[in-house]
Amino acid sequence: MKLPRSVLLQVLSRSFLLQASWNYEQMQSLGLIYALNPAFRRYYSGAALLAAYRRHLEYFNTHPYLATTVIGAVLKLEEQAQHGIDPGFTISEFKSAMVAPCAAMGDAFFWGAMRPVAAVVALLWAFHGSLWGPVLFIVLFNLPHFWFRVQGLIKGYGGGVRVVSTLQRWHLSDWAIYLKQALVVLLGLFAAVIGAAATDHADAGIAWGLCAAPLIFGMCALMRRRGSPLLVILISSLLLLGWFQLN
Amino acid sequence: MGIVLVRVDNRLSHGQILEAWVPSLRADCIVVANNQLAEVAFQKVLMAAAVPKGIKVAIGTIEEMVQVLRSEELADHRVLLLFANPQDALQAHHLGVPFNELNLGNLHGGKNKKRLSCTVALNDDDIEQLQALDDDGVKVVLQCVPSDRKRLWCKLT
Amino acid sequence: MFLPALGVTVAVAILCGLDRTAAGQFMICRPIVAAPLTGWLLGEVGIGLQIGAMLELLWLGRLPVGAAIPPDDSQVAVGCTFLAVISHAQTGLSPQAVAVASLLIGMPFGKAGQLFDRLARLANARLLTMAELALDSGRFDGLDGFHLRGIGHFALASLATLTVVVGGGMLCLPLFFKYLSGPLVAAAPWVYLLFPLVGIGSLLSGLRVPRGVLLFVGSFIFGLFVLALR
Repeated sequence: MKLPRSVLLQVLSRSFLLQASWNYEQMQSLGLIYALNPAFRRYYSGAALLAAYRRHLEYFNTHPYLATTVIGAVLKLEEQAQHGIDPGFTISEFKSAMVAPCAAMGDAFFWGAMRPVAAVVALLWAFHGSLWGPVLFIVLFNLPHFWFRVQGLIKGYGGGVRVVSTLQRWHLSDWAIYLKQALVVLLGLFAAVIGAAATDHADAGIAWGLCAAPLIFGMCALMRRRGSPLLVILISSLLLLGWFQLN
Repeated sequence: MGIVLVRVDNRLSHGQILEAWVPSLRADCIVVANNQLAEVAFQKVLMAAAVPKGIKVAIGTIEEMVQVLRSEELADHRVLLLFANPQDALQAHHLGVPFNELNLGNLHGGKNKKRLSCTVALNDDDIEQLQALDDDGVKVVLQCVPSDRKRLWCKLT
Repeated sequence: MFLPALGVTVAVAILCGLDRTAAGQFMICRPIVAAPLTGWLLGEVGIGLQIGAMLELLWLGRLPVGAAIPPDDSQVAVGCTFLAVISHAQTGLSPQAVAVASLLIGMPFGKAGQLFDRLARLANARLLTMAELALDSGRFDGLDGFHLRGIGHFALASLATLTVVVGGGMLCLPLFFKYLSGPLVAAAPWVYLLFPLVGIGSLLSGLRVPRGVLLFVGSFIFGLFVLALR
């Protein structure tokens, strides 16, 4: 029994609430069942439905955006199991094999690369008070977000276990590295904007803006030694306030 | 350079490892020692796919990985060694993998498990094996990500 | 003015609090969006934008990977924007000065966010137990309901953090303005630059990419050069 598009759409929209009951015991397990439910109610009823819920009420935690990839593949595998196709592993084993690599790829690509890139691009505008900043951030970040949610479900449901090779082909962890290099470049530009703003404010030559670089590297070294950004801000702001109080 | 971190983590290689530990320790090689994982082909493919290029990955059974770690192959790498449970770590330690600190990352909860912290829950067997490692002079610490504070496990049990 | 503004703030706070983990994750919760949104709804979009720009990078390097919870910069952004808008109306100081003051006071209170977020997640464990019990007794219709109740926990947690930020700010800010408004006005433009500087440092400290230093220094000098030509 193939799922109609409307059911897949329900699964997709429910996937946005995957983490609503996130907990330390099984993390997203209830969320997974919540997302699978529209399909499960078509696949099973009565005792079979209860059994399916029980099977899936187990540890599950992955990146929320790539979760649809796992969800789609699980739906396919459930379907195949009803037709008596044995893939050589249980669905539970498949899930536990998928979650950690998907989490790793998603963390690297979305949290580690895409989000800071979008944020720094936005800041280049927002820093001088342009409202394009926040708008740009939301658009830039959510384009890949939505693309992967939708494509994940399509490829997952279409491919079943073959989705593994789709994930491999996406090369998300390599893209994360390239994006992070772009991020470093953007951070350099943003640092230049701050440096220029500082020299403007102090009525100094723009060459003094070069001082921003050693300052940033100093901060960087401090954070590596586990300095907390909050403390650094508070202490240096207090020093600044004190200095202006005395002068 | 040798082993820079030995960690027990149910999820083996995942986001915390790749996004937090690898950069913070400047590791360039991840060794995953797990007997179940070594059996399933697609699982190995997936785990390797999540690691960006430039970082070496070795996945295999505990005995295989002990061999790899003994050989000269990884001599000038900074190795991050991952186990799925305390038992595997103990076995590797007995087989001669040298480490004097063991990091407990994620050991998720379940029936008959005692919760040490948000991310670590242990059953009686786990505690026994960690105690054995402790008796061997291995410092067992809880630290989920590098920015967390290190805590000795015996202070929490 | 005060009560309607507080109502709007609470609504945005809950929206952002849910977007953070429980629902959607469209990243409306990032300070760069949450603060200008609050500011816009309160009629002072400029103040919100400045708060967003200052706060955005600061904790961005702390990833929500696995079970790790980063500091709640969303509630700090929303709460501090509210505080800044109110203080701007009361003291008449420049938008930048009130933005800086609210952040300096509000951020330490925002650390409480981690605590409430954890409590919400601990409360969610009870939902799981309830679901397990229901399945054990053969009932499975309520499963969706148990899951959705978690949204309530996360909403309460964000409200609690907001209360601490706004409450703490309302108590401490008058004192701050009473004794330090002189140096504050002079220091504000510098503190405004300090925030992103620390943010860049914190973000860079967690990044290790091939040729990172070269790329950073190169684009920094190039950027300054282009800005010098303006």
